[in-house]
Amino acid sequence: MAAFPPDGYVSVASALPGIEVYAPQVQVREAEASMVDFKCPRCQATTAFSVTDGGLRCAHCGYYEPPATPVVGKRAQEFEFTVATVSAAREAEGWGTERKTLRCQSCGSETSLPPGRLTNTCPFCGSHQVLQQDAPDDHLRPRFLIPFRVDPERCHAISREWLGSSWMTPRSLRDAGKVTDLVGVYVPYWTFDAQTSASWRAQVGHQVTDRYYDASDKTWKTRTRTVWRWESGSVTQAFDDLLVAGSGKLSSLLLQNIQDFDTRELVPYSPSYLAGLLAQAYDVPLEASWAAAREKMRDQTRKACYAQASTSQVRSFTMSLDFSDESWRYVLVPAYVLAYRYGGQPFQVMINGQTGAIAGQRPVDWTKVWLAVAAMVAPGLLLGLLGVLASVLGAVVPPSLAVGGGVLVVALVLLIVGAVFGVITLNKAKAMDDV
Amino acid sequence: MSERTGGWGETRMGMVCDRCDWRYLAPGETALQACPHCGSTGMVKLDDDASDSLYGASPELVVPFSVGGTTLAQQVAAFAAGIPFPPPDLTAAALQQRLQRLYLPMWLVDADVTAEWDAEVGFDYDVVSHQERYADGAGWQTAEVRETRARWEPRVGRLQRHFDNVAVPALDSQVALQRVLGTFRLAGALAYHPGTLADAIVRAPDRIPETAWPEAAVALQQRAAQECRTAAGADHIREYRWAPVYANLAWTLMLLPVLATAYLDDDGIPQRVLIHGQTGQVYGAKRGSMERAKRISLTIGAVAIAVFAAGLILALASLMFPPLLVLGLILALAALPIGAGAAVPVTRVWAYNRKQAAVPLEV
Repeated sequence: MAAFPPDGYVSVASALPGIEVYAPQVQVREAEASMVDFKCPRCQATTAFSVTDGGLRCAHCGYYEPPATPVVGKRAQEFEFTVATVSAAREAEGWGTERKTLRCQSCGSETSLPPGRLTNTCPFCGSHQVLQQDAPDDHLRPRFLIPFRVDPERCHAISREWLGSSWMTPRSLRDAGKVTDLVGVYVPYWTFDAQTSASWRAQVGHQVTDRYYDASDKTWKTRTRTVWRWESGSVTQAFDDLLVAGSGKLSSLLLQNIQDFDTRELVPYSPSYLAGLLAQAYDVPLEASWAAAREKMRDQTRKACYAQASTSQVRSFTMSLDFSDESWRYVLVPAYVLAYRYGGQPFQVMINGQTGAIAGQRPVDWTKVWLAVAAMVAPGLLLGLLGVLASVLGAVVPPSLAVGGGVLVVALVLLIVGAVFGVITLNKAKAMDDV
Repeated sequence: MSERTGGWGETRMGMVCDRCDWRYLAPGETALQACPHCGSTGMVKLDDDASDSLYGASPELVVPFSVGGTTLAQQVAAFAAGIPFPPPDLTAAALQQRLQRLYLPMWLVDADVTAEWDAEVGFDYDVVSHQERYADGAGWQTAEVRETRARWEPRVGRLQRHFDNVAVPALDSQVALQRVLGTFRLAGALAYHPGTLADAIVRAPDRIPETAWPEAAVALQQRAAQECRTAAGADHIREYRWAPVYANLAWTLMLLPVLATAYLDDDGIPQRVLIHGQTGQVYGAKRGSMERAKRISLTIGAVAIAVFAAGLILALASLMFPPLLVLGLILALAALPIGAGAAVPVTRVWAYNRKQAAVPLEV
């Protein structure tokens, strides 16, 4: 006979006498210390997360502690937009905005931390600390993260290669542009899932060619006109792990360029992953991020509706869209923030700590760029000059007039091509300079 | 002897209809002359053994008649109306006159149950979702909507409860009867006392407790599931399983109010009509009278022939007096639609009866 109650069930309150009720035991999160200090159990030195090993490593005695939690990937729990959570998220706006004063458990010194910081390294004894902030709703804690996979050495190599990868940057940049600050930071992100179901209706234009009799000049003519017909359709799209940055402090442009994080590598949050690294709490709240994600989803769905129309000419377009199966996660993703100085100016670079994708600011050597542009238009100009000379000579030697004309035509073509490439090059340089 | 008091506290006579096999406990010592259900006069007194089985259970609750006189009259009149060429006996007045109060039985089961159970219980919660509309020129319009969803969780438990008055059908046709007449409001049931039923006839159960037990077990399980849901503080329950041990099972009857009446069709056969004793909803076979329809059709046909004959005579007379030819032709032509109209009554009744026959009588 099976044991009663089954393993893992505990008695819960019953609203009726004579009926006992047992429910699965809820895994109660251990009361978290407000701060976790990382000490080597063997030598008491400070331990830190080792990107190379994927666990905690003591730099002093070599003690190694394997990763605290297994990879859960896409199976990482997602949360619905319950009224309770949404209300808590609304109340949470402004949460964690005050500075925190930390007392180091190793040396007793006190440090004042800026708002939103989840980790600290004591400036006096070098011990690593992870703050366990009180969230207004348990769901609004970071519950999952993607661990760092790219180590700092590889970051240096990636950044060196990237700095020297463009001819538009100064020749000396690769060697002179020394990375002065390489900081691994866990950036807060929201992931969103949803299904959109849309129905649309629009007038779609079709080109029709027909013949008509023009009475004014008594001839048959052909004309092409647009015939508008009503069309309708429906579209269903599924969105999985749409990423929206939860940090307003880092450059959104740089984040967007390195945002190809793979959520298949999510692991449950554990403070040991943060030891020795920086980590930020979100400052862009759930609702604002969800609104941004919805905007992306609905625009993508609208494009899918347009794609259903039988031609690309569409007018009087209307659509209604329902969201369903919406869910979200609050995760931390790994990134390196680098800074280097060149010519006395500071430049910022970000590297995806999972894939190594890089984006950032690079100085533009405008002299090189303008020389390149000049080289592009020069053939056309020179040839044009030659053509003019030949044409002038035509007054004396008539055959050279024809030659001059031909050369002028070729010069014009070359000038146009050179100008187009020149504009493209300038735009590229400007874009690089504007980051 | 068929007259007994049993647990009823009053004398009732056990009788059975030899046509529809409905069994009754008739009031007093006077035998029923006709079956309240099918109108058959072939009522037979039950012998003592059979009669004893009817008294095996005592009535506990009685659902009183509550349909108002006006409502009843309106419902009966509505039933009798709208039938093409109804039989002479199918009138509201005749149906009203023959109304008989009849109680249908339902078992009430009491039991002490001890069981272990397991189930999934659902807790409602609200989520915030969005609906969006887009129109060229107007842009996006967003509406926040709230949806209620259920979160399902497993629960197990033990129960030791007394279940009182769990209703179980005592008739094979109980479900069919409630389908055609509607359900009964059991909340207003009164405790039975001798004399409560007055002169009403009681239909005897055609299921003994042993036969009704499988449904009783299901009903008890359903009641237990709802109590376990309440105990767990949940909004829903599903996949409920239990291993019950029953004790102190007690079977009593609850009586449901129905009015029975009937009318005679063309062949003089009584057609049953039942009326819900609380709502006045009527259920019964509706038949047009083919005899009446035929008579009217024949009359119209005869008129058509007479008109045609008159036209023919006038046409012949036109040989001597030509102007009569026009009148003769008019009469002959007029006879044609009249003759065609003769087919209408028969056709209409045939179609109506055929349509009614397609709806099977369920009880």
